[in-house]
Amino acid sequence: MADRATLSVRGLMVAPGASPVTQTIAPGEIVGLAGLDGHGQERFLKVLAGLEQPAGGGVTIDAPTGARAVTSFRKAVASGIAYLPRDRRATGIFPTQSVLDNFAVSTLSRDRRFGLLSFAARRRRYKAYREKLSIVAPRPDASITTLSGGNQQKVLLARALALEPAVLLLNDPTRGVDVATRHVLYDVFRELAADGMALVILSSEIEEILLLCHRVLVFREQQVAAEITGEDMKSDTVIAAMFGRAA
Amino acid sequence: MSGFRRMAQRWRGAGFATVLLVILIAVNLLLNPTRFHPSAWGALIGLAAPLIGAALASAPVILAGRGGIDISVGPLMGFVNAIVIQLLFLKLGMSSPLVIVPAALLIGAIVGAANGFLATIVRIQPIVATLGTYLILTGMTLTILPAPIGPAPGWLKAMAGPWSAVPLALIFLFWWLVRQTPYYDQLMAVGSDDRAAYTAGVPVTKVRFIAYVMTGILAACAGLMLTALIGSADPNIGPTYTLIAIAAVALGGVSLAGGRGGLAGAAIGAIDIFLLQSVLTAFNVSTYVLQIAYGVILVVAVIMTALQERLSGRKG
Repeated sequence: MADRATLSVRGLMVAPGASPVTQTIAPGEIVGLAGLDGHGQERFLKVLAGLEQPAGGGVTIDAPTGARAVTSFRKAVASGIAYLPRDRRATGIFPTQSVLDNFAVSTLSRDRRFGLLSFAARRRRYKAYREKLSIVAPRPDASITTLSGGNQQKVLLARALALEPAVLLLNDPTRGVDVATRHVLYDVFRELAADGMALVILSSEIEEILLLCHRVLVFREQQVAAEITGEDMKSDTVIAAMFGRAA
Repeated sequence: MSGFRRMAQRWRGAGFATVLLVILIAVNLLLNPTRFHPSAWGALIGLAAPLIGAALASAPVILAGRGGIDISVGPLMGFVNAIVIQLLFLKLGMSSPLVIVPAALLIGAIVGAANGFLATIVRIQPIVATLGTYLILTGMTLTILPAPIGPAPGWLKAMAGPWSAVPLALIFLFWWLVRQTPYYDQLMAVGSDDRAAYTAGVPVTKVRFIAYVMTGILAACAGLMLTALIGSADPNIGPTYTLIAIAAVALGGVSLAGGRGGLAGAAIGAIDIFLLQSVLTAFNVSTYVLQIAYGVILVVAVIMTALQERLSGRKG
């Protein structure tokens, strides 16, 4: 596990003219992002990942080693932020590659021994995550496309976790994933948070957010319409905020 | 068992080309036992080497995906041929391999970097960018060397005779080393899906750029092998290798969409074409018919590869 770090969002404008968002996401916290599709929650998450530029304000990551501004995807990765993309088929898996290659692509240089790659080391690393996430795959060198959707998603999660991030950003991680696998993933997310990782989960399913998150930011018209915590975390309140009605 | 499976996995893409290779070797041995006698292998490999080299050179940029292709491989071979003989050997009187080989590789790297700059940084479509380089190199070669001229240094000619396997072995050693570095996995990832590669933190532009430089360097090697074979300089031979090399790569199961296949497949594809040529010439078939045969084999090979993939139940 990497060092713990706090993600600070200061005066961040998702779109020009939207009211700015200021948030602090602490280690061990699971924050949910909700909203009707296209209301800015996905853009917000991508700004956190450094994949998109905000209309104003900024994101910094405060680690014990010092604070760093997250201005690009590369800087985000280097500062300990991992991002799990939404569209598994379009921006996640490499269909022509094996499970093992798909797992290792973000962390290739960790298997170096004297400048060259050690495939045994890579296999060992994969094995640890395979057990942790209970990935069901026939062989590490099988093509990733032979796996079920849920297991492909677990491989992608393993890829992100292999970076040993301090902050994990998940873009609708259980989309198209079967119920049993979902619960495995929920347990993993809770464990990661318990170990001190900060998680931000965008989900299109309110139930999932209510089940997992400590608090939820509901987006409406490119800004945070409501921040719901504790007792108020019920689907009625979230839905009301999504549609812009007072609960 | 798992070792066998892994081999099967690795060779699956080149499956048809491998079957064809076995058939063609058998037919050639029957038709022409003296030419394929072990004692003649040196000359035989030397004869096939420029095509194999050209196919190997074409592979990295194709593996890098998103329409990556370098059609200037052939003219670059011709350009290296002309520079090495006309300029270095005849004009400057330098014949040492310690001068000629590094100079050739440097030219290859520079041309490759220029192609890479145009295709990955300026973002001109690779086929257009390298068409430009194709024309420039062809013109420059003809300017330096309007007519064929000879000879070539003795050591270089030996590279098409008894030592003909050495350059190819060095290329494979080089590629084997590349495969042991993180770069290889990044190349295959970029070729497979560049958006996914970007989201996974792979420096896509850098990886593609390096692929072009590698193609340039390998094309320069192929140019040296061509020089060794013809033992002279000829401005008109190089460009003829471009298209046949791409055919060899496709035949060898390297997907032109990127991310699938490897240099071994490209080499097998090139050997197939060479052996086919050899069979047809044994029957005294005209070169026009030879062209038709290449075309038919290529189309059949691509269809077979696609069928094979569909049958093995790939969803990707």
